Amino acid sequence: MTDMGGVLQFNNVTKEYRSLFGKRFRALDTFNLEIQAGEIFGFLGPNGAGKTTAIHLAMGFMRPTAGSGRLLGEPFGNAATRRRVGFLPENVALYPRRADQLLYFYGAINGMRTSRLRPRAAQILELVGLKEDSRRHVSRFSRGMLQRVGLAQALVNDPELLILDEPTSALDPVARVRVRELLAALRAAGKTIFLSSHLLSEIELLCDRVAVLNQGKLVRVGKTSELLQASHQTEIVARGVRSDSFVGAVVQNGTVKIVVPPDRQRASVERIWNLGGEVISITPQRRSLEELFLEMIAEPKSASAKGAQ
Amino acid sequence: MKPVLLIAINFVREQRWPILVMLLWVLLLAFLGLSTEAGRQRDDLLFVFKQVAVYVVAFSVFFGSSAIYNDRRSRRILSVLSKAVARQDYLSGLVLGVTIASAIYCFALGLTGSWTLGQSGFPVWQVWFLMICLLAACLLAGTVALMFSTFLNPFFAAGATAAVMGLPALASYTSGHSQWGLAIPVYALAAAVLKSSFESPQTASWFPVILAVVETVVFWIIAARIFSYVDIAVSVE
Repeated sequence: MTDMGGVLQFNNVTKEYRSLFGKRFRALDTFNLEIQAGEIFGFLGPNGAGKTTAIHLAMGFMRPTAGSGRLLGEPFGNAATRRRVGFLPENVALYPRRADQLLYFYGAINGMRTSRLRPRAAQILELVGLKEDSRRHVSRFSRGMLQRVGLAQALVNDPELLILDEPTSALDPVARVRVRELLAALRAAGKTIFLSSHLLSEIELLCDRVAVLNQGKLVRVGKTSELLQASHQTEIVARGVRSDSFVGAVVQNGTVKIVVPPDRQRASVERIWNLGGEVISITPQRRSLEELFLEMIAEPKSASAKGAQ
Repeated sequence: MKPVLLIAINFVREQRWPILVMLLWVLLLAFLGLSTEAGRQRDDLLFVFKQVAVYVVAFSVFFGSSAIYNDRRSRRILSVLSKAVARQDYLSGLVLGVTIASAIYCFALGLTGSWTLGQSGFPVWQVWFLMICLLAACLLAGTVALMFSTFLNPFFAAGATAAVMGLPALASYTSGHSQWGLAIPVYALAAAVLKSSFESPQTASWFPVILAVVETVVFWIIAARIFSYVDIAVSVE
């Protein structure tokens, strides 16, 4: 791994695009982020938030307008470092040839020896569910199959760090579950995965930490479990009380469910007891990532990034 | 070196249909030259040979000017440059690919030229020397086109290449000093082919060939420098 702390680091990175007439568009604005070794990191944001720009900067496809970054301890753009990285672009575009030959090509340009490459390619194609189609021409593949070949070419060199831009966007539910299991297995094998996705349920299931990007700025970064529990609402379930005794109470399976803010929690419990009821449970309410995401991108543009490392 | 070679082979593979058509064209003309009355018309044979020969310079310009654009438009460049391939290695692969494509054509033309012109009394060694001149011209022309294509649309890159290659020829023509033609020796090398005849075959001079190779290296360095600053993920549409 790297001695520099993070496997992937962005330090005050700004990226501006300029049109032919000199008009500027800031895709990333003083962006700071650090990904630790061995984690699955989710990268979220609406369309045009700057996620793909950040990934392309890390891969050295473009240079930052300001700031710097390191990939596996080396500055962005270092070709030798990319030998240890696997990358799947958002729109998979591969040369038209047989799936196995494609992996031989990508493995070989990455410096892999033929003796190691052949068995590795076969193993990876089996892993992504394309063993039967390994000798088929990729130009005849469906979009989902292309995405799986794209994932295979990212994995063929057994990378330490995987950077995946929308890896499951074209996959059917079965293939999606398979990729999810594959990513979990890779994490168990000590790989670091940087995952950009719109599929929030997937991020919620897989990622140790997530960052939310909006309009080029980092809005939030933190552990997935903490972010989801960081709700300021508590759910109280009680029985033996009437639902109309509390505003917004819901009756469910003979119990009454009340959602209250922390400052009203004690008063609500005492009221249930005073009315002769019984408190069954008090649980901090857990939000879905979707709710959290919508909440965060709705925050004012000027909101500074919280918890950026 | 291995990535450079693989990228070059990949380029030739991607361009296999245009290369095949070019080869068939050469073989067809050779067949016509051998099998028809034209076979006995020495000057006609040489005229066709020279005409077909200089086409390859134009092909190398088209190959060179569109190589990066095609990869960027299809976004296949991302899957190549996401590997341990430096940008200068990628460019070297394309230069080598354009050169291999041109070399296939030159080799086929050399073979067919040896049969047809050799039978009519043209020195065979001279045919092969002319092919080397052509290949050197293609190497330089393709690299200049590739350099312009790092920041220009293929159409403008081809135009700019034509201008850069044509200016020394124009200067040579207007000033009357043939040395101007050696400034960028594509014209000088093509002229060596165009001016050869049965009566007075061109004197074999290796100077323009060596100069073309040296200038190729210079243009490659410039291309690599420019390309290192290009945002390759930005759409070229």
